[in-house]
Amino acid sequence: MSALGHYLEEEGIASVAIALIRPQAEKTRPPRALWVPFELGRPIGPPSDPVFQKRVVLAALQMLVEPGGPVRIADFPDDDPREAPDSNWRPPIPPSGERGAAAVEAELRTLARAYAGSCTRRERSTVGLSGLPPAQCGEYFAGWLRGERPESPIADMSPALALRFVIDDLKAFALEAALSPGAKPSSQQLGDWLWDETALGAAIQTLRRDFLAGDDERLKQLAFFFVPSLRVAPS
Amino acid sequence: MRLEKLPADYAKRLSDLECPDFTTRPWVEGKPLKERRVAIVSSAGLTVRGDRVFRGRDADYRAIPSTTSSNDLLCSHISINFDRNGFQEDWNVVFPLDRLNELAAEGAIGSVAATHYSFMGATDPVQMVDGAKEVAGKLKSDQVDAVLLTSV
Repeated sequence: MSALGHYLEEEGIASVAIALIRPQAEKTRPPRALWVPFELGRPIGPPSDPVFQKRVVLAALQMLVEPGGPVRIADFPDDDPREAPDSNWRPPIPPSGERGAAAVEAELRTLARAYAGSCTRRERSTVGLSGLPPAQCGEYFAGWLRGERPESPIADMSPALALRFVIDDLKAFALEAALSPGAKPSSQQLGDWLWDETALGAAIQTLRRDFLAGDDERLKQLAFFFVPSLRVAPS
Repeated sequence: MRLEKLPADYAKRLSDLECPDFTTRPWVEGKPLKERRVAIVSSAGLTVRGDRVFRGRDADYRAIPSTTSSNDLLCSHISINFDRNGFQEDWNVVFPLDRLNELAAEGAIGSVAATHYSFMGATDPVQMVDGAKEVAGKLKSDQVDAVLLTSV
């Protein structure tokens, strides 16, 4: 990101980067960067907190009119309050010990109502990378779980690439279903639920393990994009 | 990110990631903030629903019009090692367009660009040079003189 600051500034446009990993900003030395102490994926900080977010944005933009450069790296002082768990949050479905393709399909059907409610409340969804509706994503994923090699349901994508985006969509589907009204779950809570308590999370882990143990190099490479490094189940 | 919160080996991997070593030190100054036209340029692999998703370490970019609704912004970044829950709950966590519009309405900034842009942050930055120059040209055509760069 900081590299883009260099390129834009070379073209005459002032820029300020919001940097999440300070050592990387220090090495790239952008014209201006505001380091923020938030978790990766949250450059502007807590969701649904416009006041806090505006402070972050303004702190960054203010650097555009401050002297002292080139290469100014400042630190945002406050941590993200949403990193704290919310004891009022409850998972959308109780933990299930059921595993396998049928369990995943049943779980997705159960989550559909919570997902629809979440979309209505938020007037949005981030499901859509595959272009398939969630139910069709579930069918395609379940085919792979059963050991099939389904044809790609997406015209210009290989079966493997389609699987990657289908898994991204299913994770988003489940996590958006878990955004219950009034609660402010941390990403840790949501991740614990998805990876430790759902048939979907367990199935993604299984597929990852199976692909890595198999002979298909394309699937081996793909498997690294299923489960976050810090969530990989011990084998 | 407070790296000390991560497992040591993982934090070291992030900290040691190879970064471009620039020999130049560009620095553009300009008008007061309240007169600036601001655009967001993100490396989150953002794409408008219906547009081409980033499929891997693509070096090109996607345009995101200011008229895009929050329901139509997707994140197709190849990395899975960053939180997506924040973006799923509130797009401003990654793409603070609502905050920029508020700041413009309050007079803190001059205006908001007509179009914003996203790259794929996992791509080698050296490969982004041509795309970045192209984006710079488009930003200038839109009279943009300030860019907020957001990564994930």
